Amino acid sequence: MTQTPGPGEARTRQRQRRQMIYVGVAALIGGAIGFLTGFFDRGDGSLFTGDWEALSLDPAIAVVVSIAIVAGLLALPLYGFTQVDELKREYNLIAFTGGCLATITGFPVWAVLYAGGFVPAPHAFGVFAIAFVSMMVSYPIARIVR
Amino acid sequence: MKNRLKVLRAERDWSQAELAGRLDVSRQAVNAIETGKHDPSLPLAFRIARLFEMRIEDIFDDGESV
Repeated sequence: MTQTPGPGEARTRQRQRRQMIYVGVAALIGGAIGFLTGFFDRGDGSLFTGDWEALSLDPAIAVVVSIAIVAGLLALPLYGFTQVDELKREYNLIAFTGGCLATITGFPVWAVLYAGGFVPAPHAFGVFAIAFVSMMVSYPIARIVR
Repeated sequence: MKNRLKVLRAERDWSQAELAGRLDVSRQAVNAIETGKHDPSLPLAFRIARLFEMRIEDIFDDGESV
């Protein structure tokens, strides 16, 4: 059966193009943040181990990276919310819920396990990573399960 | 919720992408509604009904009799 292409097809292609541009811009911002923090890193600290005292970055680079983070993690997703349809908004809400629940559960569990001598002390980046990774995992799960 | 979206779309010889564009939603949303994985919001249900020039209850069936 052949289907008649009409104005709806063009609008759908436009929506897909916009989505690809969104993903491209997000990747660009993420890449820029990774490059700037990696290339201009002057200290011996590590975000992953919570070694904050030894972190060092040129002040100008720090400001640029901060702006990029606000753009990539706040402005872009907020804009994205205005562009997606109700189905994807639902997936996003499930992903945010997954991230939130993982964080409010993950931190106390981490703290208790630290108190028990099982793991290193909780640190801010670790808690951020729990939220971020949980959201990234929750989104595809929402798509599969729903 | 059961619906007649796939049949109505086929009657007009529209692809999912065509219907999605006319409803201003993603193709995935149309697919999710057709397969019963997603129940549309009331505003979207009204848009669907207007597009097919039908009443909402002639397209969607929640299985409850009046």
